[in-house]
Amino acid sequence: MERVVTINLNGNSYQLEEPAYDALRAYLARAEAALADNPDKAEIVRDLEQAIADKCAGQLGPNKTVVNAVEMMRVLEEMGPVAGEANSEAPREEGAPGYEAPRKRLYRIKEGAQISGVCSGIGAYFDIDANIIRLLFIVAALFSGGAAIIVYIALMFLLPSAHTSEEWAAAHGMPFNAQEVIDRAKREYRRFADTTAKDWRSSMRAQRRAWRDDVRAQRHAWRAPPVATPAPVGYLTRVFAGLLALVLSLIGAALLIGFLIALFSLLNTGTVWHWALPDGAPLWLAIVVLCIVYAAISSPLAHLRRSSYATASGYRYYAGGADGLITLLAMLAGGALAYQVLPDFRDWVQDALQYLRAHTS
Amino acid sequence: MPQADEQFSAVRKGLLEFALLTLIAAERVYVADIMARLSATPFATQEGTLYPLLSRLRREELLDYEWVESEAGPPRKYYSLTERGEARLTDLGAYWRLLTDTLSQLGR
Repeated sequence: MERVVTINLNGNSYQLEEPAYDALRAYLARAEAALADNPDKAEIVRDLEQAIADKCAGQLGPNKTVVNAVEMMRVLEEMGPVAGEANSEAPREEGAPGYEAPRKRLYRIKEGAQISGVCSGIGAYFDIDANIIRLLFIVAALFSGGAAIIVYIALMFLLPSAHTSEEWAAAHGMPFNAQEVIDRAKREYRRFADTTAKDWRSSMRAQRRAWRDDVRAQRHAWRAPPVATPAPVGYLTRVFAGLLALVLSLIGAALLIGFLIALFSLLNTGTVWHWALPDGAPLWLAIVVLCIVYAAISSPLAHLRRSSYATASGYRYYAGGADGLITLLAMLAGGALAYQVLPDFRDWVQDALQYLRAHTS
Repeated sequence: MPQADEQFSAVRKGLLEFALLTLIAAERVYVADIMARLSATPFATQEGTLYPLLSRLRREELLDYEWVESEAGPPRKYYSLTERGEARLTDLGAYWRLLTDTLSQLGR
């Protein structure tokens, strides 16, 4: 069921379904924009309205009183785009006076989102396929020991969701205009229809198969005894490895605390340890840079730590778990100690908690 | 010739004004007439292009219109050439012959 809008075109009233009305309004808005410099704009628009009205009348009959969207699209297509002045028919170049390139904004985009649209939004912002961003996020998550997931969650709360078409257009950096949206939707649909759904399904099947094989192989590897048991190492080496592992764990915990402090300080005050962002640098970029720096420093350390644990304990498979557990314990212990001893740190924890409370409620 | 349609759109665009003046010189017409007459020719056009063009030609005082009541529906604008329009059409015709002569001579 559609709402019906009654309009007045040159003295005659017509009934349009709401989408048809929207399309008409968009067409006329575009016409007026194209004719902005034309002294006879009002008259031309009136003529166009009359022509549209005549065409609409042709679609109606004694048993049909309302113009629907499909009919209106057909009418508008027959009308064709309204040409501006003869010499300005080429689209105006960006940067030409009077033309302001639409500002891009970072939004979450729910359409086609896998989780919350963060990646779609980033992809739209950079004009990159959202899947590439997703892949980057996953790779980053693997290498940063999950830090990228924290960033993702932070972005999920921080980025506004693009709800309206205007916001959607801003996310892509496109001029907003209802007709553009309609055109784009049609284009996208055609493109989708072209790349047949069949291709897509078969590639999905292949992917699923690969996943299944992968999982099976992993399960097999778990059950089987370690294939290449590390050569037995001496007692001294193991003690040394254990000590090294402990030290590395403490460093890792300190790094993680530092990362979290920097992250929250960025979110709260826009500075990292009294170092302000350069002018115009967006916050999210600083966050991404921070994550990359953290991942770059922490991931080799984590590897070193894991192999230290493995050498110390002799069990390859538990090294990761032990590492995570000890790092967590070291972090908690270090955090508790710092909370007692350092007033700055206490302030920071309270700020961070306040921030979380303010942004999650 | 859909391909020619695509390729020579710039040529057609430049000549649309010529075609329009020629058409209007022959008889008084309103927009639906113009559309119908042009639709079967390479100059087939749409209202979105036609109205702004007519408005410009009128502003340049090459043509004018008058309102004529119609039996069905609202009154229509019937276009006709002004004297300046006639002169322009003559000039255009001469220039067109010059162009085609030049082109045929270049080929020799």
